[in-house]
Amino acid sequence: MHQVIQAIILGVLVGGIYALMASGLTLVFGIMKVINVAQGALVILAAYLSYALFSHVHIDPFVSILIVTPAMFVLGVAVQLVFVRSLRGPDGSELSLLVTWALALGIEGVLSVIFKTTYRVTSPSYADSSWSVFGYRISEVRLFAFVASAVLLVLLSLLLTRTRFGRAVRATVQNPTAATLLGVDANRVQTLSFGLGVSMAAAAGAVYGVIYPFNPGSHYDLISRLLSIVVLGGLGSLGGAVFASLGMGVIEAIVAVEISPVWASFSFFVVLLAFLLVRPQGIFGVRERVL
Amino acid sequence: MTALLKLEGVVAGYGRGDILRGIDLELEEATITCLVGPNGAGKSTVLKTLSGLLRPREGTIVLAGEEISRCSPAELLARGIVHVAQERSLFPLMTVWDNLLMGGHILRERPLVRKRAEAIAERFDLVRDRRDERAGALSGGQQKLVEIARALMLEPRLILMDEPTMGLDPKARHLMFEMVAQLNEEGRTVLLVEQNARAGLAIAHHGAVLDNGCVALTGPGKSLLDDPRVAELYLGGAPAAA
Ligand SMILES: Nc1ncnc2c1ncn2[C@@H]1O[C@H](COP(=O)(O)OP(=O)(O)O)[C@@H](O)[C@H]1O
Ligand SMILES: [Mg+2]
Repeated sequence: MHQVIQAIILGVLVGGIYALMASGLTLVFGIMKVINVAQGALVILAAYLSYALFSHVHIDPFVSILIVTPAMFVLGVAVQLVFVRSLRGPDGSELSLLVTWALALGIEGVLSVIFKTTYRVTSPSYADSSWSVFGYRISEVRLFAFVASAVLLVLLSLLLTRTRFGRAVRATVQNPTAATLLGVDANRVQTLSFGLGVSMAAAAGAVYGVIYPFNPGSHYDLISRLLSIVVLGGLGSLGGAVFASLGMGVIEAIVAVEISPVWASFSFFVVLLAFLLVRPQGIFGVRERVL
Repeated sequence: MTALLKLEGVVAGYGRGDILRGIDLELEEATITCLVGPNGAGKSTVLKTLSGLLRPREGTIVLAGEEISRCSPAELLARGIVHVAQERSLFPLMTVWDNLLMGGHILRERPLVRKRAEAIAERFDLVRDRRDERAGALSGGQQKLVEIARALMLEPRLILMDEPTMGLDPKARHLMFEMVAQLNEEGRTVLLVEQNARAGLAIAHHGAVLDNGCVALTGPGKSLLDDPRVAELYLGGAPAAA
């Protein structure tokens, strides 16, 4: 039992970071029906940026969130304007898959040239510290990462529900024509939302690099997990993405301790497949969407 | 007569073909004009062109002396033109209240938007009673009413209404026509598209018949009702009794 509870704690902490990455993916899908398969590569890019800031200028990885996130917001806006905006029309969604995949491979290529394929990890002095609470071990960095992710997700959700911009975003998701008729500039909403989605990847990447070793090819594993999470949560649903991320974290952690670490990642995909057979629209179907 | 809005030779369409093939139409300030015509004549297309969803390919649209045919929807809203579309247009997962606030999207000033929304809640019991419910939970007729309430957030001078009575039961339809008359009594100009041409022309000061992308006939609403050509073409048979 002790082991299982320890695994659940670990799973929830890890799940929080995935929730942050997945939130950007599902947000962008909800708004423009674009599946940004470069989300994983953008996370890794941010992990390298944070790593470089730490190793060259000694900026703490959690502080670097404040630098990396706005920088990658700008990058996201630029990517949307240059590559994604022009993909309109009936084949837009399919084309955007190709374009964002090309972007992922481009980022991987550039990172491989600069950093080679050696695995890196951002190691601040407290990287290996942990607290003991009622006999359960809680790693400091993982808890910080979870808290940072939770704070950002709450901010994102407040942005979407409490602000003029957020209302315009939700309106555009629910009825684009009606939103246009009320004076919402759909182009602007799409560009800013894409930037927002990329900044979520950025913030998550900065903390990802503290917890997991990564190299330029790490994005393949990441994107397959992220896609599973957003499909399980229901494409376009923010609450669903959070729920599915935590579920993934917990399932993998429990399988790892109770059965074998070898089966951990596989187990989540089994759950995903089984779940989708019963409920193909994901946890949160269209009716319950947050957006 | 003072024309608030004047369309001259307006050509517009989707993709390749032209749907509107030279529309000439004038709307007199503070009147109701009813636009009738068979299905597919282009009535909705006229409204979409006026609210900026479609750009006219040729022709001019003048609002109170200003050429507006190149304006974006937001610019037209700022000039007081609102469009209550034929399709259901609320945001179904947002609350009635948030839908209302969306109506003031272009205003930017939060306090002003709130103040207007409160005033509208005073006027529409439906909005006040169900402000925190999801808009999608309301009946079709209620949703239409909230759409109109939302359109009033900008205190418009010209309201474009596309078949607001579609799908309503007789009682709700009657209330809707009363609403249109009320909006007009407040001094607003209304361009009403109405499927039930008889009922629409009956409450309108002016009527216009759209056929094949052109305005075929115009005249006072009542006289169009009695016009045998109109009766034959669009009202399905004999002139309206009474
Ligand atoms: N979004 C669209 N794309 C292409 N054609 C359209 C579109 N909307 C309407 N049409 C066509 O334009 C013509 C006029 O449509 P519309 O203005 O909706 O007619 P009405 O409102 O008078 O029934 C119809 O032939 C219709 O098929
Ligand atoms: Mg129509």
